[in-house]
Amino acid sequence: MKTKIMTLCVNGRDHRFEAPVNRTLLQALRDDLKLTETKYGCGTGECGGCTVLMDGKESICSCLTLAVEAEGRHITTVGGMTRDGELHPIQIAFIEEGAIQCGYCTPGMIMKTASILANNPHPSEDEIREGLEGNICRCTGYEKIVLAVQRASQMLDNSQIQKSGGMGQ
Amino acid sequence: MSEKTYVGKNVPKLDAREKACGQAVYAADLQLPGMLYGKIVRCWDHAHARVLKLDLSDAAKVPGVVKVLAPKDVTQKNYNTGVLDLMVPEEMGQLLGDIEDQRIFTDHVRHQGDAICGIIAESEEIAEIAAGKVKVLYEPLPVYLSAEESARPDAFQFDERKPGNRAFQLPEQMFPGNAYGWGDVDVEMAKADLVVEETFYLPKVKQCQMEPHAYVAHYDQTGRLNCWTSTQMPKCVQPKLARLFELPISRVNLISTTIGGGFGGRLGMVFEPETCAMALAVPGRPVKVQSTREEDWIASESRHPGKYWIKLGVKKDGTPVAVDAHFTSNAGAYFSHSSGVPFTTGGWLTGMYKYGAIRYKGDTYYTNQAPSGAFRGYGNPQTNFALEQIVDRACTELNIDPVEWRKKWHKGVGDDGWCIGVPYSSCALDECLERGAEAIGWKEKRARYANQSGSKRRGVGVGVMTHTSGAMPMLLEHTTCTVKMNEDASVVITLSCSDLGQGSHTVLKQIAADTLGMPMDEIHILVNMDAAGFDIGSHASRTTYVGGGAVIKACEDVKRQLIERAAIRLGVPEEDLEIKDRQVFAKHDRDKRLSVMEICHTGVYNFTNPENGETNGVPGQITGYASHFPGHNSPPFGACFAEVEVDIETGEVKVIELVIAHDIGRAINPMAVEGQLQGGAHQALGMTLTEETCYTEAGLCRNNSFTDYKMLGPTDMPKMTTILVEQPDPIAPFGMKSVGEAGPVNPVGATANAISHALGIMFTEAPITPERILQALSEQKVA
Ligand code: FES
Ligand code: FES
Repeated sequence: MKTKIMTLCVNGRDHRFEAPVNRTLLQALRDDLKLTETKYGCGTGECGGCTVLMDGKESICSCLTLAVEAEGRHITTVGGMTRDGELHPIQIAFIEEGAIQCGYCTPGMIMKTASILANNPHPSEDEIREGLEGNICRCTGYEKIVLAVQRASQMLDNSQIQKSGGMGQ
Repeated sequence: MSEKTYVGKNVPKLDAREKACGQAVYAADLQLPGMLYGKIVRCWDHAHARVLKLDLSDAAKVPGVVKVLAPKDVTQKNYNTGVLDLMVPEEMGQLLGDIEDQRIFTDHVRHQGDAICGIIAESEEIAEIAAGKVKVLYEPLPVYLSAEESARPDAFQFDERKPGNRAFQLPEQMFPGNAYGWGDVDVEMAKADLVVEETFYLPKVKQCQMEPHAYVAHYDQTGRLNCWTSTQMPKCVQPKLARLFELPISRVNLISTTIGGGFGGRLGMVFEPETCAMALAVPGRPVKVQSTREEDWIASESRHPGKYWIKLGVKKDGTPVAVDAHFTSNAGAYFSHSSGVPFTTGGWLTGMYKYGAIRYKGDTYYTNQAPSGAFRGYGNPQTNFALEQIVDRACTELNIDPVEWRKKWHKGVGDDGWCIGVPYSSCALDECLERGAEAIGWKEKRARYANQSGSKRRGVGVGVMTHTSGAMPMLLEHTTCTVKMNEDASVVITLSCSDLGQGSHTVLKQIAADTLGMPMDEIHILVNMDAAGFDIGSHASRTTYVGGGAVIKACEDVKRQLIERAAIRLGVPEEDLEIKDRQVFAKHDRDKRLSVMEICHTGVYNFTNPENGETNGVPGQITGYASHFPGHNSPPFGACFAEVEVDIETGEVKVIELVIAHDIGRAINPMAVEGQLQGGAHQALGMTLTEETCYTEAGLCRNNSFTDYKMLGPTDMPKMTTILVEQPDPIAPFGMKSVGEAGPVNPVGATANAISHALGIMFTEAPITPERILQALSEQKVA
C-alpha cells in the first residue's frame, strides 16, 4: 500500500505522520496519533461512536472519512472539549444528568451534541432526538442523554463559549 | 462521623468525568511497548463443517507475521466460556454432566465464526493480510437452526456425551419428572373453567454492547500471564484461565479495563482464551486482539431464542388453578449457559403468581447458530413475553381487569420466590401497580381504547415481573472486601466487583461513606485482582446487594477496631462508646473523646518509649475485612405500563409512553436506578418490536450490523416515566433491592399486551414486526 506523509490538525495542534493513503481518520487518530478517545464501534458509519467535529460545526463519522480528506480541516475530538482543565458545559451536562453509563458512546455523543447545538442553539426535544439519530447508546435508553443536551443548551446560553463562535476549537 | 450522608442521593458516577473527557481506558485503547496484534481466523462460509486441511504456509510468509497458530499449537484442553461450573456445588455440577465442549481453535466448525487458527503479527493490517492467505479445505456438514431439526433421531450428533443433541434438561435427580414446580398439574388443570394455551416464539437477541470485544494478553518475563479484559467476572475468569493453561492462580493476573457495556455479554470468558493462547506463544510480548463488530456478532453469545409453550387454567373468578409450561431453547453451537437459563426461565415463572399447581420443563438443544449465553434478565424477558400475554388472554376472556387480576394473584411476603423454599422478604408490587396505573391513566384509557375505528389504534397494557438480588441459594454468592485506614484516616477499599457502567462502584462508595461516616472524596475504591479477594462477578443483579453487604461488613469491622482501641486509650468500656463526626465519644461524657485520625495515625506511627517500654497507643494499621455470603436474595418486583399506537395500514407500532414502577426497596442512587430502568426498557422494546438475529438456510448470519439489525433509536423511544417505590426490604443492606437485570423484563409483556389491546390480536412471535402485524390483520379480516 502506498503511503503518504499527512498533516492533521486535531484539537488545535498539527500532527505530521506517515500512513497508507487509505487510512481512515479514525485509524489515524487512534493508531497513528494515539488519540484513543474517539471510539470504534462498527467501522461502517452505523453507530456514531467515532463522531468528531469538522471545522467546529459539522459532525462526521471518522470511520467513513479518509485521513487525507481531513487534511487542512480543523478536527475536534472529545479530548479537545476541555479548556485549561475546565470541562465544557456539554461535558458537565452529561455528567450531572447521568447521561453516561458505560461511556463508550459518550465521546461520539458529546461531539454530536456539539454539532447539534452549534447549528441550532435551542433545539426542541424532537430536534434533539432527530439530531442524535445515528449515534447508538445501548445503556441509557437515550432519556438522560436528551436531558443532558437540553441542559447543555441552557448552560451554553449563559456562557462565553458560544459568543466566540463554534465549539471546542 | 460526618453529618453528610450519601445514600439516597443522585451522586454522579465516579468515572463520569474521565468518560466525558475520553480518558477512560477500554481494552482496545491500550498501547503497550512491543505490542503485537493477534487475529483470530474464523470460518465465515460455513455454519457446520469439518476442517479437512488447514494450510498456514502462505500466511506465515507474509512479512511482519511473527507466528501462526494451528489448533495443535495451543492447549488441547476443552473449556466452557460460562462459569456455572464454578458457581454450583460439586454434586450439582455432576448432574450437569461434562459441559466443557469448546476449543481455542477447532477443526470442527459448529457455527459461522468459529475460530480455526490464529495469527500474530507486528500490526493489525499485517495480521489481516495474513488471515486472508490462510487456506482451508472444508467438508460441509448438515446445518440445524432449530431444536426441532437437531433433535431428530437421524440428526448429526454434536457431542457423544449429549445424546439426541439435547445439551440439557432439568435433571431428574433434582427435579422429579424433569419438572420444576409444585402440586399435581393434571388434577388441578381439570378443575379449571377456562384453559388458555399458546406457543410463543422468542428471538435471538444480541447484547450489542457498544464496545466490541477486545483484549490484551502478555506472558511476561516473570512467568505470569497478564490479561487485560472487560469481563464482568474477573475472579471467575482468573481461575478458568489458570485451569485452561495449567498455571497457579497467582500466575494469572487479570487487569480490569473500563467496560463498554456488558449486559451479560461479558459473563465468564469471551475471547480471553484465544488471546492468552497467543500471548503464551510469544513470551515477553503483549498481544492485542480487537474484534470487529461483525466478528463480535457472529462469534459471541446472545440471548436464548426458543419456543415457549404455556397452558394456564383459571376458575371463572380468575383463580389460577394450574400452569403447565415448557421452554425449549436453542443453545446454539456450544453448551455455555445451557443449564442456567432454562432453569431460571422457570424460576421467574413459578415466582410470579399463586398458581394452585405448576409444572415447568426447560431444555436446550445444540444447533448451528452462534452460542446462546447470558443476557441481562437471564430468561426473564422470555418468560415475560409468554406469561404476561397468556394472563391477559385469560383476563380478556373472563372480562377481568388485568391490573386487578395481578394485584390479587401475585406472590408476596412469605410466598416462595423464584427458588422454592426461599420466601419473599418484601413486596411492593401493589404500590407499583397502583401508582403506575394512575400515572398512565389506566382505567380511562383502557375503556377509551376498547372500541376504535380509523387507521391508528391505541392500546394500553401492563406487565409485572419479579427478579432477584444475587443468585443465592442456587449459585455461589460470595464477595470479599478490604477497608484499609490510612494514617490520616482516609480510606482505601479493595474489591474485585466490576462496574459495567451501571455505577456499582459509585454506589458501593456511597454505602461505604455512610457506614463509616466519611466524606466520599476521602475514600478510594481500588479494583486490583492481585490485591482483592474473591467476588463471583457482576451478574444476577447482585453487586449493590451482595457487594454492598460486603462493604458494610468490612466497614463495621473497622469501626469495631476503632472503638476497641479508643476504649483502651480512654479507659471507657467499648459499649459506652460511639463514633460520630470522626470522633470516638464516650456516650455519657462527651469530653472523653479521641479522633479517628489519631487512632489511625498512632496505629501506623507507633513508637515505644525506651524508658518504660510503653507505646503511644495501640500499634498496627487498621484494616477491616469481610468475606460475605448473603443470607437471602431480596427479590424486587415491578410493574410496567405501556401505551402504543398501531398503524393498521403500515403495521408500524409507535410506543407512546412507558411508565415503569419499580420496587427498589431503597434507592441508593435514584439517578442510577432510573438509568437502569430506562436503558433496560430500550432493550426490552427492541426484543418486543424489532430485534432479531437472522440466519440463511445455510446458517450464515444475515444481519450482523446495526443497519440490518434494528435497535430503537432516540426518535423511536417513548416518553418514559420511572417511579421508584421505596419500601425498604427488612433484611437487605439499607433496605435496597436490585434493578439492573429487571430493566429489560416487563416492558416486554406490557408492550405486547398494549398491542393486543389495540388490535384485539395476541402476537405469539417476537419481535412483533410490521410484517407480522399486517399478516395477522389480514388473517383476522378473512376470519
Ligand atoms: S465506528 Fe464509525 S460509525 Fe461506528
Ligand atoms: S453509555 Fe454505554 S453505550 Fe451509551
